[in-house]
Amino acid sequence: MSRRRAGAEESLRRLLALVPWVAGRDGPRIEEVCARFGCSEAELIEDLELLFMCGLYPFTPDTLIEVTMEEDRVWIRYANFFSKPLRLTPAEGLSLLAAGTTVLSLPGTDPDGPLGRGLAKLAAALGVNPDEAVGVELGHAPPEVLATLRRAAAEHNQVEIDYYSYGRDGWARRIIDPHRVFNATGQWYVDAWCHHAVAERVFRIDRMRDVALLDAKFDPRPINGTTRTYSPRPHDPVVVLEVDAHSLWVAEQYPHEGVEEVGSGRWRVRLRVSERAWLERLLLRLGPRARVVDGDASVGPAAAERVLARYGVSVKSS
Amino acid sequence: MTRLERLINLVAALLETDRPIPRAELQQRVPGYEGSDQSVRRAFERDKDSLRSMGVPIAVEPLDPAHPELGEGYRIRREQYELADPGLETDELAALHLAASAVRLEGAGGQEALWKLGGTPGDQGPDSPLAALPGGEHLPTLFAAMSERRTVRFTYRGAERAVDPYWLTFANGRWYLGGNDHLRQEERRFRLDRIETPPAVGEAGAFERPAVARRPSPQPWRLGDEEEVEALLLVDAHQADWAVAQVGEASVRASRADGSVVLALPVSNREAFRSFALGFLDHAEVLGPPALRREVLDWLESVPGLEHETVTA
Repeated sequence: MSRRRAGAEESLRRLLALVPWVAGRDGPRIEEVCARFGCSEAELIEDLELLFMCGLYPFTPDTLIEVTMEEDRVWIRYANFFSKPLRLTPAEGLSLLAAGTTVLSLPGTDPDGPLGRGLAKLAAALGVNPDEAVGVELGHAPPEVLATLRRAAAEHNQVEIDYYSYGRDGWARRIIDPHRVFNATGQWYVDAWCHHAVAERVFRIDRMRDVALLDAKFDPRPINGTTRTYSPRPHDPVVVLEVDAHSLWVAEQYPHEGVEEVGSGRWRVRLRVSERAWLERLLLRLGPRARVVDGDASVGPAAAERVLARYGVSVKSS
Repeated sequence: MTRLERLINLVAALLETDRPIPRAELQQRVPGYEGSDQSVRRAFERDKDSLRSMGVPIAVEPLDPAHPELGEGYRIRREQYELADPGLETDELAALHLAASAVRLEGAGGQEALWKLGGTPGDQGPDSPLAALPGGEHLPTLFAAMSERRTVRFTYRGAERAVDPYWLTFANGRWYLGGNDHLRQEERRFRLDRIETPPAVGEAGAFERPAVARRPSPQPWRLGDEEEVEALLLVDAHQADWAVAQVGEASVRASRADGSVVLALPVSNREAFRSFALGFLDHAEVLGPPALRREVLDWLESVPGLEHETVTA
């Protein structure tokens, strides 16, 4: 057994797709085969040298696959059992449909272009309706803002934005160097160098307004890209919340420093909190289901008092 | 004899036959199964699992349907193995390749899908994807059921459901399934991460899809079983644009001179709506209906640390 298991499986996946493609053509160029099937020439030749020893019992010359390599071209014959590629797995079909549908919905994609046509053919082959079967909603971002930011990232233009800070609950203008526009878990983000913070930041595109492309250029710098929009710093104050089982989503949704079961269906979640408004929202959403057992216990009641005042209800926090 | 050769020969032998082949005979026809009976059996099981995990449909059938006592054999039926070629032109394949590089679905082999369709001509696309969609353990099963029109059964919120799957949608960072719920006799949507048991699939072609399945709403406050009420939410100018972008222009009931807006939102999940409303802190107010406004006030008054003697101005 000269190959590792994973290696044999990957080669097999490739061969089951590549053999029908080559066999259906009159000697394609080896270079093109490698480009299409994502392998090096050495890998391809290694696999093909095995292939021509394969075939059917009793493995006499007339039952073996014939592989001919001449100069820069390759022919595969007598592989009738491999005349068509293996069908798509459900996961593969879904991933292509989802990718195609998503890109088709982005600004600037022609719905009648090659992607739309290819997608319709693929959906028909998979037995689903291309418009209804798979939908991907990537979250709100005005198309023109998305286009401006993507252009700025590609051409290294600085951008001035008015940005809503969720943590501080306020708007502020700032200049950023947008490095990469991306979507994760249904939200649009841009990785950028922020001249206001003098640091790398991730901005949510739906919290921007008045986005203006500037003439000033920036020099791209390595951006680690792992920062989250909510990323408390190690020296931020600690808050320990005691929550019920219904509210354990807090630990799933936010970075925390530990969850501990304290009995009677209660858990303690230890959080670092960099911004007051962030904690206010969390405590209002949790309402009676959570209690601050360590840290500033006045944040929740003070926020509740403020919101109640807006409703015309006056209460005192103790 | 490498494992790759053995696997190729095994697939060829199983594809070429027009009858099920028993394991003992396969050992004769496919070189490379050597050693004790136990190690041969183990090697064969491992090969079978590998092939099945890459989607090779190995069927187990009785050697003679009239005499089940004679045992079983293996084969691959061509009609289950072979790709129905969608006939993609080179530019269409290249466009799908670019799309698959830009949008990746976690845990799914977009690259291998493209190999099967004829490889990946042209540009390699961006180094890092524009969008990464999280996968889900039940996604492939549900997609397969949808494309073959099979009813699926699973436990959801403690109840057994039978659903004819119509669509899958990714919204709010999650996957949802939509389809006809036999229990409720209407179209419902389900969050995939709340499906409690692996979906069991029924026979193919079990239902007809409606001509146009209803498009899902991604708004969490509509994803509930409660009786629907129309909530009126006042949002201050400070957050009005963002709120309207979230819910859509069609939900704007009134735009006031000070820049604030009143949104009318159908709510069938009051908890989700309350979370949405409270996310605005004191920049929004639930105007009605009175019972819903009262619930939000009761909730706020129950925040620990508040004194309970409340005075309504």
